[in-house]
Amino acid sequence: MASSKKKKEKKKDFQKAKLKVGKTAAKADNFTDTSFRAKAIVLGKQSISAQRSADTSTDQAARFAHHVSLLRHRSDTQRQESLAYLTTAIATTPPTTPLPEPVATLLPKLQPLLLDGTPAVRRQLLKLLHVLPAAEIPAHAEQLLLYARAAMTHLSADIRLFSMDVLDWLVAAAPDDAVAAAGAWVKTLRCFLGLLGWQAQAPAGAAPVGGWSVAAKTAGSRPGSEAKANAKYATSLAAFVRAGLVAVTRPRLERPQGVPLLWAPQYDLPRRANAFAHLNLFGPPRDEDNEILEDREDRQRIFALQFEGAVRAGMESMKREGGELGRAAAALRRAVEDGMTDYERDE
Amino acid sequence: MLICENCAICLTLEDNADRRSPNLQHKINRDPPSYAEDFKAQYQQYDSFRQLVMQAPASAPSDNIVSLRDLIDFISHVANNYPALTADFPQQLIDLLAQHHEALEHELREKVVGALVILRKKDVIDSPTLLNALFPLLTATSSKSLRSLLYQKILSDIRTSNSKATNHKLNRTLQTVLYNLLSSDRSSPKGIWAVRITRELWRRQVWTDAKAVEIMKEAALSDSIKVIAGGVNFFLGGDKEREDLAEADSSDDDAIDMRAMKHQYGINKKNNKAQKQLRHAALMVKKKERKKGKPHPLNFSALHLLHDPQGFAESLFQKHLQGNKSKLGLEQKLQVLQLVSRLVGLHKLTIITLYSYFLKFLTPKQASVTSFLASLAQSTHDLVPPDAIEPVVQKIANEFVSEAAAGQVAAAGLNAIREICTRQPLAMSDTLLQDLVMYRKSKDKSVMMAAKGLLSLYRDVGPDLLKKRDRGKEAAMQLRTGEREKARFGEQQVGTIEGLELLEAWKEQERRRKREEAGLDPDAPDREGEKEEEEEEGWKNWDAQEDDSDDSGGWINVESDGEDINISDSEDEKPSAKKQKKEDEKPAAKTTEEAKTIDELNRLATTRILTPADLTKLNELRQSAAVEALLPGERRRKAIEQKRHADDGLTAADLEGVSNLGAKMTKEERVALSKGDRENEDHRGGTAKRKERKEAAGKSTTNKDKARKKNMMMTIGKARGKQKRSLRDIGRTLKGHVDRQKRGGRRGNN
Repeated sequence: MASSKKKKEKKKDFQKAKLKVGKTAAKADNFTDTSFRAKAIVLGKQSISAQRSADTSTDQAARFAHHVSLLRHRSDTQRQESLAYLTTAIATTPPTTPLPEPVATLLPKLQPLLLDGTPAVRRQLLKLLHVLPAAEIPAHAEQLLLYARAAMTHLSADIRLFSMDVLDWLVAAAPDDAVAAAGAWVKTLRCFLGLLGWQAQAPAGAAPVGGWSVAAKTAGSRPGSEAKANAKYATSLAAFVRAGLVAVTRPRLERPQGVPLLWAPQYDLPRRANAFAHLNLFGPPRDEDNEILEDREDRQRIFALQFEGAVRAGMESMKREGGELGRAAAALRRAVEDGMTDYERDE
Repeated sequence: MLICENCAICLTLEDNADRRSPNLQHKINRDPPSYAEDFKAQYQQYDSFRQLVMQAPASAPSDNIVSLRDLIDFISHVANNYPALTADFPQQLIDLLAQHHEALEHELREKVVGALVILRKKDVIDSPTLLNALFPLLTATSSKSLRSLLYQKILSDIRTSNSKATNHKLNRTLQTVLYNLLSSDRSSPKGIWAVRITRELWRRQVWTDAKAVEIMKEAALSDSIKVIAGGVNFFLGGDKEREDLAEADSSDDDAIDMRAMKHQYGINKKNNKAQKQLRHAALMVKKKERKKGKPHPLNFSALHLLHDPQGFAESLFQKHLQGNKSKLGLEQKLQVLQLVSRLVGLHKLTIITLYSYFLKFLTPKQASVTSFLASLAQSTHDLVPPDAIEPVVQKIANEFVSEAAAGQVAAAGLNAIREICTRQPLAMSDTLLQDLVMYRKSKDKSVMMAAKGLLSLYRDVGPDLLKKRDRGKEAAMQLRTGEREKARFGEQQVGTIEGLELLEAWKEQERRRKREEAGLDPDAPDREGEKEEEEEEGWKNWDAQEDDSDDSGGWINVESDGEDINISDSEDEKPSAKKQKKEDEKPAAKTTEEAKTIDELNRLATTRILTPADLTKLNELRQSAAVEALLPGERRRKAIEQKRHADDGLTAADLEGVSNLGAKMTKEERVALSKGDRENEDHRGGTAKRKERKEAAGKSTTNKDKARKKNMMMTIGKARGKQKRSLRDIGRTLKGHVDRQKRGGRRGNN
């Protein structure tokens, strides 16, 4: 005779579930819920180390890439060290061999560091910029200028001062594109005026508020650092204006004699990247500040209309300060005079 | 410079970046012109950062000194001070959101949304601009957090712009946008946002008009399952939700006890703060009182605000239920069915195919069949042709009600049949009814109860279908005397004012009493002037009404021996044959008399205007009649009749009803039941409770109580002194005591 417990257990297996009217039947014991739908499959971990091989050349490339990725590290010393590594790596690469990473991918990662809060990082960045192959810079002038302008309007005086170094480098490396890119001429000049505290001609009839405080700014409530900064701004402005306004004669390409083409330069291969950028075929529509001003005459016209008055007035008052400021102002004046000699004013 | 040049502190802080926003923001708000230059610097920085972001939205420039986020926050807070300089600012933000909302870093994105809302609060942009900027994102973005943020901001903006007065223009625009969202692409699930917004605004009584209902109607007819469910749920539960919220708002949990506060103020130290608090409390109380006095806003339910309910119900039925193409699951189908049947029942619509649609679901094995039964009963009304329902009733009877079926099943079937027949009694044939009524002898209690319910229903509405012995005394007598006519399809009851017959009777009685007092013949017709006189008196009385009714002190006259009407189940109650014959002799006379009474009833309503006095009397009579109705015998019947309002829906639980009576309770339920009342039971006597109440109200205790509660140490000195008294002294005190008692206290009464 089996125990009652055993009997019960046996009975359990054959018990029928009670059905109730109006209620859905209970799920079976082995029921599997398949109603969910996966939106994504997440793998636990992916190793990058497996992709690296022991080869020394690729190893170097990997280290290069590693340091590029470290540029966004939160510690400033790490950023600086990575920049230093990249600087030496680029400097030691012979000009014939390509860089481990092309400039086009490198620059977007370097640009944000223009606004870095640590002076040492910025100094190192400038060194790195100087060793970059100069031929590749013009294509990226527009982006670089965007960041340079962000640095020029930055709230920290240090970064504003640093932006001058960057701008000087850019004007030296890509003199044409630094002034001709979209928005380069008008917006950068406006930033300069803001830096120097010179009032641009207000397009609307907005009443100038607190004009005296601007004068106080140029006069320098704290003569030391302020005057030094202003001198630097003026020097950079001079270089920028010279690049934009003064005509340069470039050596013409040797072309085979005897081909009687009247407009030969027009049929040349363009020497610039994105030669038809000024047509703006694909981008969003530009406002007038963002126009591409490739012709020197256009730049002269805009300079005369919008900036010349303010620049000349500011220059005069600056020259009166004398010393370093005066010298900078004189250099600026020379640049403006050189640039605007052949401008025909319609008066 | 970044901050104020003229401020010495800022100059010393010169290059410390932390000094920026809050400090400057505060200063700018105090004196905008002086800080224009500083603001300009910030604005320029923002502008160059913005250009960077527009170029590469994924990498917002956020170094450790300034971030675009902070700049946007700062500028949005002070933009109203420099309208000329920041004219483009709102548009720039809107563009940034519209073009790059997918790529932007989420914190920046949320900040931009917040900045737009701040600009709206500062009235830099108007509501339509804000809504036009935010609403497209709501449907476009794939980020859940952004969606919820946008949803919340949109709702709060609509609520604030409707807070003082209804902003019809804004509402109309938004409603049109929502409607278009639903109607432009019926299959997209984006319409769910239109549903959610509309439902929330409906719940908060911001939108209470037909246009909102129209949006939900569109939603219910869409192709996306989510949207359909949202729309249908709104019609089924939106009004209840709204009522609940209104109730929750009006119930004052945090009522201020003014008495207690005043008392506290009398005791505590008096300072300005306490006085201010008291004044504030008084203000709040007054405000609340005023709110209570306000008339309740008259809100129509969504089902009543529908245009063309017939068309709506038909298209719902055809689109989601009838065809084979519908993708809805059973759950959703049931909800749609519930809505359709609710509409049909409420508006008395005619969808003949609906009833045959039910046929295939009416088997006990069908999942949630009780819900189907409830929907079926709900969709029946007195204008549905009995031919359409008869097969359904027959099917229920065949499938559910049989000896072989489980008790639960049979009870559910019987209950469903009863509910259907309450609404359309003509759907029943006599053979079927007599068959079903037999189940009242069933051993299963739930079946027995259900069958009895059906029986008592037909005693009321169609006793001629029952067997003679089942009809009951009252109905049988009425049938015999011809007092009750057979109901016909489409017949409507003549409407009257409730309690008018009571007033009529009372008036007659009064008239007789007056005439008797005057010594006239009570049955003779009135003089001409008498009636008018009486009426004039009624109008005169009209101010004094309230006092009058107060006089009676809330007492309502109740007949001491209310008629006991019993619903008896016994079959042996047969009216005597003799009586029957006697009554049969003059059926014709009786019918004319009946017609006359109906006329009589309406005579009062049609021939004269009821005076205010009449109306109060009418009210009084109605109340007393209601109290009478609560006497035992009547109570049961009334309870059954009045349980449900005509607008309320019928649920599956109603049909399962009594069959769940015998169901076993879970352990928790049993434990709860056994604990049940004891938790909040108070065993103390009346005095103790009264005392506690008094104390809670901040009232003082009696002298006796004070003496009783006095600290013993304080009384001990006196007690000791008393012990040491000489006999003479004791005598003197006693004498004095007696004397004082006589005089009535120390101060004396005489």
